[in-house]
Amino acid sequence: MGNQPQEFDVCIVGSGAAGGFMAKELCEGGAKVIMLEGGKEVDPVDLLSHKWPYELPYANLRREKQAYFYQGDVATSIRYETQAHVHVDRARVLGGRTMHWNAVTLRYAPQDFREWSLAGIEDDWPLTYEELAPYYDRVEQIIGVCGNEDGLDILPGGNHYLPPLPWRCSEHILKRATDSLNIPLISVRKAVLTKPYDDRPACHHCGHCMDGCDATAIFSSPNCTLPKAAVTGNFTLRQNALAREILVDREGLARAVSFVDTNTQKTEEVKARIVVLCCATVESARLLLNSVSPQHPAGLGNSSGVVGRYLHGHINAPVQVYLKELQGTKPINQDGATDHVYIPRFDYRDSHRGYAGGYAFQVNYDSYMFPRHARLMKGYGADFKREVRTMQPGYLVLLGVGKSLAVNQNYVSVDKNQVDAYGIPIPVVHFQFVENDMLVWQGMIKGLRQIVSKLSGDVFFNQSTSPSGLASHEVGTVRMGKNPKTSALNSFCQSHDVKNLFVTDGSCFTTSSEKNPTLTIMALSMRSAEYIIKQRKLGVI
Amino acid sequence: MQRRTVLKIIALSALSTQLDVLSAMLPPTQSGERAAWEAGNYKLQFFTEAENELMDQLMEMIIPADNHSGGAHAANVSLFADWVVSNGCNIANADLFANSSISSDLQKSEWRKGLQLFKEEAAKSSTADILTRAAAGEANPQTDLEHFFVTLKQMTVVGYYCSEVGIHQELEYQGNIVLPEFPECAHSNAVASEMKIEESRTDTK
Repeated sequence: MGNQPQEFDVCIVGSGAAGGFMAKELCEGGAKVIMLEGGKEVDPVDLLSHKWPYELPYANLRREKQAYFYQGDVATSIRYETQAHVHVDRARVLGGRTMHWNAVTLRYAPQDFREWSLAGIEDDWPLTYEELAPYYDRVEQIIGVCGNEDGLDILPGGNHYLPPLPWRCSEHILKRATDSLNIPLISVRKAVLTKPYDDRPACHHCGHCMDGCDATAIFSSPNCTLPKAAVTGNFTLRQNALAREILVDREGLARAVSFVDTNTQKTEEVKARIVVLCCATVESARLLLNSVSPQHPAGLGNSSGVVGRYLHGHINAPVQVYLKELQGTKPINQDGATDHVYIPRFDYRDSHRGYAGGYAFQVNYDSYMFPRHARLMKGYGADFKREVRTMQPGYLVLLGVGKSLAVNQNYVSVDKNQVDAYGIPIPVVHFQFVENDMLVWQGMIKGLRQIVSKLSGDVFFNQSTSPSGLASHEVGTVRMGKNPKTSALNSFCQSHDVKNLFVTDGSCFTTSSEKNPTLTIMALSMRSAEYIIKQRKLGVI
Repeated sequence: MQRRTVLKIIALSALSTQLDVLSAMLPPTQSGERAAWEAGNYKLQFFTEAENELMDQLMEMIIPADNHSGGAHAANVSLFADWVVSNGCNIANADLFANSSISSDLQKSEWRKGLQLFKEEAAKSSTADILTRAAAGEANPQTDLEHFFVTLKQMTVVGYYCSEVGIHQELEYQGNIVLPEFPECAHSNAVASEMKIEESRTDTK
């Protein structure tokens, strides 16, 4: 550790999208920062993303390719008390979920911050799109985003994008269908480089975005923001450091973070004047709820009782179509960078839709290697085999991504009687879809049927009778708001109760929209970091 | 040369002619490593030799060899099944975004029972006839035999299309390679041209 300070200016817990930007901005602003990350680094050249199934010990049936991102017992040290088909995604690796994501990078629209004002349901955010827009601009320019400014109110954009990804044949065909319905189909915006940028190479179109990008063409905090933090000389990174609880002083202010070194199993402590949580929605809530003291008997920063509450995310519904026009054609390489196009929300045009919020569609978000229809089609033998082969070039998949409501009854708690491998109480997920969620899901399926009706091909809808979620987009458990009685954070992601505590990952969201949340997480982190720098200069914190 | 440096060079080179030379510098994506059941010296972990032989026969009937490519036998799918069943893997994970409502995993003992059903039926009918009967209820399986067929078929499909034979010979999958430029859709250009020609014909009528 060399000449490390006894006490750091800031301790950041978590190294993903939020933590990376927080570290970069604070270090560039002169703060001495230590980052605690529960996992450890994976060198991109060690990723298994290009391995064939027959080269892997279990043909990837044990998710061998993604095992690097779920280190230790993170995947099993959680409990679900729910009948709903939901899953939360807890990565544990340097970079967090930026190490394996499709990189879809979308801004929230102005209306997404005003659910109460517009629909009388949920709450307004304590900030507006206009206040966040400059940070969206800066984040996009730092990470490199491909796509276009499409002139859509529902999906605002900047004017600095890299060239969009080329469209596949199936996407040109889809466009004919969506045009006939006056539904927009646009080039997707993604944090994928379509030309060299920021000393990182362009995408090599291998189709394995979700297995980790060995080319570093997809933004991750280890390939972009953490090096920028490190070059300032103000950044200290401690890996294999799993935060256990935040310790407070007599006034109830954060003074240190207690963590377990997962290599030695020893508990250590790092002192800091400011603590920023960037551990993602479930883990940040867990850490706060596990940080109990006489000054904070319900968990750190939880006088409102909302920490852990309002867990929500995205609802999904997929459809696979095998386009007749492409069936039987010579197989070509279609993998690309997974999503190349996107159908932004269009249901808001229907004022009689009967639900709040809405949905959008991701398109072709996965590799073409495995013929999914082969598991769904009936029959066997030579005809079956030939039909599978003939259909495969026609593959087109749409995934509905819909808003779920932020409601108090959905929450994360901790079980003091059940601990993980390091003695830390595990999180417990309590979640049920509510009526509005069901209506959004049904609306989403109706939208899918509408689009599919204009396509000629073999169609496979998911036969589930209930929605699934949360699409790895869970948010909301340490929500921001103006009222300290009903929220945990202010608009700068600062705890109402503990002025030197900040939380800037997805847990700070007041509500969700149908858009993927990562860009908003990064913009909020950047804004919060700027606030911290100013407050430090003023001597306020 | 380090792989990372090679990747950078490829990214910074715009011309496809250079690509061929540079591509050759990358290690092949097929590493030569093989999963246990493909390694050539696999020893059965769960099924007996007789059970494996029956599985192999049934799986080859489900996905047979043809003029285009080998079938389940050539792809060692029965050995794949032995490995998967003995290690308790979830075959739904073959598809990252699988429809998990498809029930496709059986306990080990259920596999044995299913194969035993086929053996018992074989005293009265040919294997082909039994398979036909088992498959008849695929959409809504009622009997033990019909339920077993669904699982047997799912295992065959996953094992085959995760194999070298299934991926490369049968589907001629072209992906999972380094491609500095994503190819334009020649098909859509041709269709768009045809549509323009049709529109101009309509306009002149």
